[in-house]
Parts: sequence; C-alpha cells; structure tokens
Amino acid sequence: MQSVSNHASQRKVMKGAQSDSAERAAQLLANIAETKSREAFSELFSHFAPKLQAYGTRQFGNEQTAMDLVQETMTNVWHKAHLFKPDRGSPSTWIFTIARNIRFDLLRKNKHRKDEISADELWPILAETNDDPDDYSLDSSILMQEISAYYARLPDAQREVVEKIYIEGKSQQEVSDSLGIPLGTVKSRTRLALKKLKELIIEND
Amino acid sequence: MIKAHPSDAMLYQYAAGDLSPALSLVMATHIDMCKHCQQKVSELEERLCEKHLVNESPALANHDCQRMLDAIFASEAPEQIICDQGPAMITLEGKRFHLPATLANNADRIGDWSHMVGKLWRAPLSIGSDDSINLIYMEQGAQVPEHTHRGVEATLVLNGTFNDEFDSYHDGDFILLDASRKHSPQTQMEDCLTLAALDAPLHFTSGISRLLNPFSSLFFR
Repeated sequence: MQSVSNHASQRKVMKGAQSDSAERAAQLLANIAETKSREAFSELFSHFAPKLQAYGTRQFGNEQTAMDLVQETMTNVWHKAHLFKPDRGSPSTWIFTIARNIRFDLLRKNKHRKDEISADELWPILAETNDDPDDYSLDSSILMQEISAYYARLPDAQREVVEKIYIEGKSQQEVSDSLGIPLGTVKSRTRLALKKLKELIIEND
Repeated sequence: MIKAHPSDAMLYQYAAGDLSPALSLVMATHIDMCKHCQQKVSELEERLCEKHLVNESPALANHDCQRMLDAIFASEAPEQIICDQGPAMITLEGKRFHLPATLANNADRIGDWSHMVGKLWRAPLSIGSDDSINLIYMEQGAQVPEHTHRGVEATLVLNGTFNDEFDSYHDGDFILLDASRKHSPQTQMEDCLTLAALDAPLHFTSGISRLLNPFSSLFFR
C-alpha cells in the first residue's frame, strides 16, 4: 500500500496527457480522503481552480460569483474527497458535477425561498453512502417529552438550535437568520445535538 | 420496458443544470427508473466536463490561490447529506405506491391529496419554485376532457397506464407536451399515478401558478 502511493507521488505534477492527469487526480483525491493531505489538495487546487473559474466566469459573467463557485466547489472537494468513486467516472467529471450543483443553487440564491429544492436533492452526488441508516431516524421517532431530561444536558449552543427547530418549529434558515450564524453551523449543531441525544439515550437505556 | 424517453437535448439541459427545478425533478425521477437515461446522463456529464473544465485556463493570481486555500483549510466540514430514509411508499385510496429514490428523498415536500374532479386526484409538491409540480392520480376509467397546456408540461408515469390520442404510457414513460398539442388522457382497466410539472410562464404570479396544474384548462376555461 505504502509503496503504491510513494510510486504515485514520484510522478510529476498534473500536466501531460489526459489519462495520466486523471490517474494523478484520483490518487490525489485518495490522499486527501485518507490523510487530509494539504499538499495533495494544493496540487489538485492549482489544476482545477483556474478551470472552474473560467467556467464560472462564462456562466455568471461576474468575477466575484465565479470565485465563489471555485471556493464552494473546492471546499466540497476538500471535505468530501472520500465520496469520489473511481469506478463511477473520472475525477474531473466528479468535480464538474459538484460545480454544476453549486451553480444551480447560486443562480437561485437571491430569491430566498426557504423551502426551495436544492441541487443536492436533485443530484445527490455528495450524499454519504449510508452505513448507519438509523443515524437520522431520531427526530421523527422519539417524542420530545421522552428526551427532555437528556435535552437539558446538551451544550447551550446546540440546545438553542434544537429548541428553535423542534419546539418552535422554525426552519434551519430562520434559525440561521435569527441567531446570525451561518446555515452550515445550524445544520452541524443540529446534527451534533441529535447524535449527542442518541448517545445519551443509549447510555441510559 | 420504458419506451418514451426525454429527448437528447433535454437530457443535455438536465445534465448541465439548465432546466427549472420542477422539470429537473421529473427528469431525475425518470432517470431513477431508467437505466438507459442514467447511462446517457453519465456520458453527457463527461462531455459537459470536457467542454467546461478541460481547456487550458490562465492560472489564478497567487494571492487569490493562497487566500482560498487558507479559507478552505480553515472551513468547517459542510453538513453530511444523508439520503432521507423517509417513506418510500405513499398510500392513496387504499393503494400503496412505491416512490423512486428522488421522490422518496423529497417525500416531505408532497402535500395533501385533494379530489379534483371526476376520478382525478392531485397532491402538489412544494419545491419553493414558481413552476408547479403535482402528483396526479387517475382512477380506473378516468377521463380528462381534451385540453391544451399553457407552457411546457412534462408527465412521468410512476405506476399504471394511461392513454391519449397518440399512444399508451406505462411505468417510467416520460411525455413532454407543449401548448400546440391537444390531448385527452384517460385510463381504462388500470389506474395511473403520474408526476407532472408545468413550466409556468414568467408572467404568472405565484398565487396563480399554484393553481396551474396539468389539467388547468378544466378550471380556467
């Protein structure tokens, strides 16, 4: 295993023929997924960022939005490299479909409709392959009363978010607006809180 | 065996992300049901990638690169997307229908069923967009008077069979009609559940577009 990646990293950086560069990109994605290698990511970034920027500029006719597209796409590549499946297509096609999804959402972002369907729901390329299917069944299957004792033991920041969503019935976007924190933070706090609740319930079962 | 597919041009627009949310949802659901179009969309995505990402592009300025890399390394992981395990079945009139993956993932967007007229039922999908998308259920022996469409309508058969003047359509069949085509759908021995999206012209206000549905002429003539 080690010798394979050593061999690959001795190859020169991504240039040259397309198949070479696809192989190299796949290797870099694997390194990012396994070891969070910043070096691997930087190489992948310098290869794809200019192409993504050119795509964004053509699509939006706006440099700033194009840069947002580059940044959001590559942020997903950094965090979700483990979801790239070499048997399903090339690395560049995978990265393109991420950018396509982000473009789809960026084009509709200004309208601010809270229940708007997102590209991830139409093309779930960044969905986790579900190893733990009951991870998310908690919110619908357990009544609030049953978990109120555990609920009090959540960290304040998480409890605040869960309270607004599950008791006051607010959407994640409304919670994000009312607390002045990013939507991603609301979502991750919700997720962490539900996970924590589940652990507490299992612990005390 | 699915015989009615979206055109290549429409598959291309779908793969490029250029269709409206409602049409995209119908396309995605057809693609769930259709291996043939799944394959085509993968190929189109490759072609689009070659078109959009493979050309040589000028490098970004160094300070832009560094700024973005720093921001990315410092970023919090985006929330995990778990495909909802929600109900993959819906029940109507005592019958249970299996929902393809994309619809199952969006099952929480399916509104209440209402009785339209005759043997027709409808449940709107709330997708936060101006165009309208509905599940339409036709009981056995249902008939929809001849009508035309305002704008483009895409209909996908989820389960069952319906006919019009042109053909009969079964599970997975995808039908696109524009304003120039008159048709009168009907069911015979079998009932039929469809997903139908209407690309509402921009001049409809959202209140009215809510009322638009594949059989809108029933209500508006």
